[in-house]
Amino acid sequence: MGPAPAGERLGGAAGESEMIEPAQQGTGREVQKASSRKRTVATSPVEGLLQPVKLSRAELYKEPTNEELNRLRETEILFHSSLLRLQVEELLKEVKLSEKKKDRIDTFLREVNQRIMKVPSVPETELTDQAWLPAGVRVPLHQVPYTVKGRFRFLPPTQVTVVGSYLLGTCIRPDINVDVALTMPREILQDKDGLNQRYFRKRALYLAHLAHHLAQDPLFGSVHFSYANGCHLKPLLLLRPHGKDERLVTVRLHPCPPPDFFRPCRLLPTKNNVRSAWYRGQSPPGDGSPEPPTPHYNTWVLQDTALESHVQLLSTVLGSASGLKDGVALLKVWLRQRQLDKGLGGFNGFLMSMLVAFLVSTRKIHTTMSGYQVLRSVFQFLATTDLAVNGISLCLSLDPSLPALADFHQAFPVVFLDSSGRLNLCADVTASTYHQVQHEARLSMALLDTRAEDGFQLLLMTPKPMIRTFDHVLHIRPLSRLQAACHRLKLWPELQDNGGDYVSAALGPLTTLLGQGLGPRLLLLAHSRPSVPEWDISQGPPKHKDSGMLTLGLLLQPEGLTSVLELGPEADQPEAVDFRQFWGPRSELRRFQDGAIREAVVWEATSMCQKRLIPHQVVSHLLALHADIPDTCVHYVGGQLDALIQRPKETSSTGEEALAVAVRCYDDLSRLLWGLEGLPLTVSAVQGAHPVLRYTEVFPPAPFRPAYSFYEHLRERASLAPRPDKPCPAYVEPMTVVCHLEGSGQWPQDAEAVRRVRAAFQLRLAELLTQQHGLLCRATATHTDVLKDGFVFRIRVAYQREPQILKETRSPEGMISLKDTPASLRLERDTRQLPLLTSALHGLQQQHPAFSSVARLAKRWVRAQLLGEELTDESLDLVAAALFLHPEPFTPPSSPQVGFLRFLFLVSTFDWKNNPLVVNLNNELTADEQVEIRSGFLAARTRLPVMFIVTPQDRKNSVWTQDGPSAQILQQLVVLAAEALPILEKQLMDPQGPGDIRTVFRPPLDMYDVLIRLSPRHIPRHRQAVDSPAASFCRGMLSEPGPSTLMPVLGYDPPQLYLAQLREAFGELALFFYDQHGGEVIGVLWKPTSFQPQPFKASSTKGRMLVSQGGELVMVPNVEAILEDFAVLGEGLVQAVEARSERWTV
Amino acid sequence: MVARKRKRAAREPAEGTLSPPGYSAIPIAFSEKQRALHHLYVREHRVREGTKSAWPQKRTLFVLNVPPYCTEESLSRLLSPCGHIQSVELQEKPDLAEGPKEPKSKYFDPQPVPGFQVAYVVFQKPGGVLAALTLKGPLLVSTETHPVKTGVHKWISDYTDSVPDPEALQLEVDAFMEAYDRKAAEEEAKAKEEEGVPDEEGWVKVTRRSRRPVLPRTEAASLRVLEREKRKRARKELLNFYAWQHRETKMEHLAQLRKKFEEDKQRIELMRAQRKFRPY
Repeated sequence: MGPAPAGERLGGAAGESEMIEPAQQGTGREVQKASSRKRTVATSPVEGLLQPVKLSRAELYKEPTNEELNRLRETEILFHSSLLRLQVEELLKEVKLSEKKKDRIDTFLREVNQRIMKVPSVPETELTDQAWLPAGVRVPLHQVPYTVKGRFRFLPPTQVTVVGSYLLGTCIRPDINVDVALTMPREILQDKDGLNQRYFRKRALYLAHLAHHLAQDPLFGSVHFSYANGCHLKPLLLLRPHGKDERLVTVRLHPCPPPDFFRPCRLLPTKNNVRSAWYRGQSPPGDGSPEPPTPHYNTWVLQDTALESHVQLLSTVLGSASGLKDGVALLKVWLRQRQLDKGLGGFNGFLMSMLVAFLVSTRKIHTTMSGYQVLRSVFQFLATTDLAVNGISLCLSLDPSLPALADFHQAFPVVFLDSSGRLNLCADVTASTYHQVQHEARLSMALLDTRAEDGFQLLLMTPKPMIRTFDHVLHIRPLSRLQAACHRLKLWPELQDNGGDYVSAALGPLTTLLGQGLGPRLLLLAHSRPSVPEWDISQGPPKHKDSGMLTLGLLLQPEGLTSVLELGPEADQPEAVDFRQFWGPRSELRRFQDGAIREAVVWEATSMCQKRLIPHQVVSHLLALHADIPDTCVHYVGGQLDALIQRPKETSSTGEEALAVAVRCYDDLSRLLWGLEGLPLTVSAVQGAHPVLRYTEVFPPAPFRPAYSFYEHLRERASLAPRPDKPCPAYVEPMTVVCHLEGSGQWPQDAEAVRRVRAAFQLRLAELLTQQHGLLCRATATHTDVLKDGFVFRIRVAYQREPQILKETRSPEGMISLKDTPASLRLERDTRQLPLLTSALHGLQQQHPAFSSVARLAKRWVRAQLLGEELTDESLDLVAAALFLHPEPFTPPSSPQVGFLRFLFLVSTFDWKNNPLVVNLNNELTADEQVEIRSGFLAARTRLPVMFIVTPQDRKNSVWTQDGPSAQILQQLVVLAAEALPILEKQLMDPQGPGDIRTVFRPPLDMYDVLIRLSPRHIPRHRQAVDSPAASFCRGMLSEPGPSTLMPVLGYDPPQLYLAQLREAFGELALFFYDQHGGEVIGVLWKPTSFQPQPFKASSTKGRMLVSQGGELVMVPNVEAILEDFAVLGEGLVQAVEARSERWTV
Repeated sequence: MVARKRKRAAREPAEGTLSPPGYSAIPIAFSEKQRALHHLYVREHRVREGTKSAWPQKRTLFVLNVPPYCTEESLSRLLSPCGHIQSVELQEKPDLAEGPKEPKSKYFDPQPVPGFQVAYVVFQKPGGVLAALTLKGPLLVSTETHPVKTGVHKWISDYTDSVPDPEALQLEVDAFMEAYDRKAAEEEAKAKEEEGVPDEEGWVKVTRRSRRPVLPRTEAASLRVLEREKRKRARKELLNFYAWQHRETKMEHLAQLRKKFEEDKQRIELMRAQRKFRPY
């Protein structure tokens, strides 16, 4: 999807440069837009904001009318909520054709009919003699081999009939296609035309002649060729009206044979109609082996004969039942959003209509059902049956001459017979496409069952492009490689059947091969269908290899990803041969611990990130081994974004292992704390409260050992300090651990005294840890830093009642009441909510191994866009968690890449204004509670933070977004995400395209008023930058971890210290943006409101100066002095201050 | 181009410094290298009749717009030519009530990051204030003889200072707790003394320590009691007993549905405005 539609944006400001503009402007525009759509908005949402409904008592409690009761009852029976009903009605209104347009189309169709009838005939010639064709038109068919028997002449069709969805009233916008069947006169055809593509050649010539004459007609805006359902033997002619109606409708002309021309028994799936002798130009092998059957070829011929009978069947079933029509329209929208309906072998709307007809005939759907119920029933059917094993048939006759279902199963992966019992409607549908449909139906069913409020939106309005749906995607190109693959896989009969379309011929066997190879790692394998080309009549049909590339999507199973081993059968078993053959040289005999000697394949992967990419190894190996497709032709897109979260100089891991080491060290520490002897009160709980301990720190810490000579030594305090003459030392961030002590009556009841007692505990803790476990500790009044195995932990002692003590206020009557104060809120957040969140996300990581990398990638991106300071760590973690806990309509991501794309999609499309983002950690919130939260949210919307995130522990306040982001910053984030998503998706879908993957991570700098360039010497995390510097400074750490007797420099980050000073001094005048991961530049944005001249006031002189403007003395910011202050405050760190705009003079 | 002209216009008054009525402006810069100057706006500290102020009248100079790098020491040094200075106090915003602060604990009240501040400078004699009002400046915060640390040097020294000395901390904690315990013990003793002794009007105060302790008077406790009462009442009530109750529940259900319907309609309206119904 492109950038979010303007209406969806918060505040509505359109571009970046306008970011800080006051929000009213944007909303004004929005209102204008709304009014320009000529809709009378009854309860007009003033700023696109939902307001609680206020109905008077009289209105609420008036006697209901019969009509109202009926409607309510209907809603209850036919839909599960009134909202859904309204939404469905609204959607149908949007996609259905209006009567006015229908009239215009009808007129056009009548015209078309007349023109077709007037096309002149031509005399009969040999099929191979095409000299009579005029110069401006080419035959829309690959005529390979060219020589074919038969004679052709053009005669106007005997009958022109409209078939398909237009007639049924189930066609949906935006692509309105009207299918018109042209019945060719019997004189054109001869006996045995079903053989050797003769019928198709004639069909193509018929169209070519027609095209030539219609193209000269001014009635038509464009006349093009295309393929029917992507089948390259069956071209069709597209006619579009001239002028402004050009996009209104596309008329598709399908020539078809006269009724009963072909004998159905010759077109059964077991019959051959393309002779090898003709097709391969050689005589059949002398051993008299039978000709291979050509099921697909036969089906394509049969399809042409059945056009009318199908439309008759559908019109009798759907005819008067509007609910069924609605259902079909909804199903078509559903298919379209999932890109399932296009191309050869797509599960198109016609198939859905037939499926609905089938369900009606088996009484699974009743004609009085609503569209929603039809949708549900179809999902139910698709999810619970398997047409690949048990085919279904619309045919009711028990005629013994009809072929058996088993014959069809032999020839086709999916079987769904039409009413004649001879035509498989799903002939072109591959097994993977069908499984994908099944999978989607199952997901949708589950989604409908949760009765989520936004179910409709997720089901029918959310597009699911391949790159955002599948964990890994691989492109095979150039497609001509598949020709070789066909030969390697010995697919000659299939090629003969498919008329040389090697892409379709190879697709089935390739997907089966990969499916077998990926085994337990794979949940679903899907493939793209080559897009249906459309070309000018003066051109030849496009070649098979021109359809770009073949894209395969892999949905992975996280449980299967951890294994590096493919365990085969025991060596002496007969299956061992197959296994060896399948895996080729990779298969080895191995002896296992239980003594068994088995065939096995071992993949090289040590880290989680390499294990995630084992499918890449499997795919390249199998494709090269079995299909002769070399590595260079396979573009595997799965780990492209991994580099962004790899530690500098470490390319083999995305940090999961390093995080696990840190967490293990924390576990050890907490055990030590539990067992500590000599504390006056025992430890009652130890909880982690740092991103590392929930696996979401972008760059995990490494065990640290200082190089002493690099530092100043503070011997008596056992610490190191930075030296002014050296570059800034490495950044070591202590990991916060909250340590609760048991309750006791001995604690003082005074806030100040509690702090002192806590400090005493911190001191005692340090003393005991040093004494009993020999750990290097340093206590301060609020925390104790502990150095353990190179990691530094910051233990904060907490007393449960302290927030309460801070809250207590005594009223004059002596009543003690509890009131939140900033200090109590902060303390509660740090000692209660943060540990809870940390442990919940820690748990999430155990369920979804990809969570860590997705959250880190998301954070990396937000920070790279210089917005990291505005959005707290925790809020971003929660947004990432939402992707896993509420993945609908997708499945939880199993790779960082797809997770990150969905993060961008969520951020850019979520309606933050009217919805809270519910993150149902541990599934603690029930549906009712969620409804309650939503209504509470709407009632209090204006008082709540712009970005509102609900968790089970935090239902009313959204603690982590309370202090930001502001509406403008959030809007900026939304805009950036909406821009980044299509760019990134395009890069991932087009492996050879320009630009590298880091493009979307580089921030736009042209919007800032001032840029402060920093010297890398004093940026401790310089190497973490998006574009990692080739060289940086030595940061005083030894590469070999080991014990240290002095506490390293903790949390010393000059850019952060500098920013804190800037914000304190100039926060009223400007906003400061910085990427904490090695950013070399600080972006400064002046606040336009504080640049308005103001009268002198003692309370607002900060950084301003007095000037005389029009004879009046007013205060304006003293910009030039401030710019110099920037340099003064950051002496040593600041390299240059660049003022880039003169906005402040306004 | 207008912009540039304005810019010049903005710079020009720097020579003949403007000052708001009642104040005088003193240009101030960090060091000689700085070309653009900030201005301190100073005046004598005065309060209206009847308002109490912790700062001595006449002798106190009130300074606005003190730049962040200017410390109390440097301000004291800069203004000392005007007369002997008794004290300099920097504050975030003008605050009359607050007098000179109590010395704060180094460990428990970390120093905030300074921004632009206001200062109260108390001279020993009123003459100092008058002299200061006529200062021409520009004042230089950091000079060769008295350098002021900023940037990397300041952060490093801040870091070094922030590394605590556990023994000193322990001493401070012990001292505080000793005082606290003494105070608590005194209060305890006093409360014990007053225990059961009626006051002038004959009332006896009932406390936690009394023979029959009472519930603490907290909001939470009273809410709990109310809640319990309510539950008790709800238990006794019969629902769906009378016909009118039946009728009313039905009506209530209908009203709920109506309300929901209205809400949904509004939601749909909004979605339509946002074009949320276009699946393409």
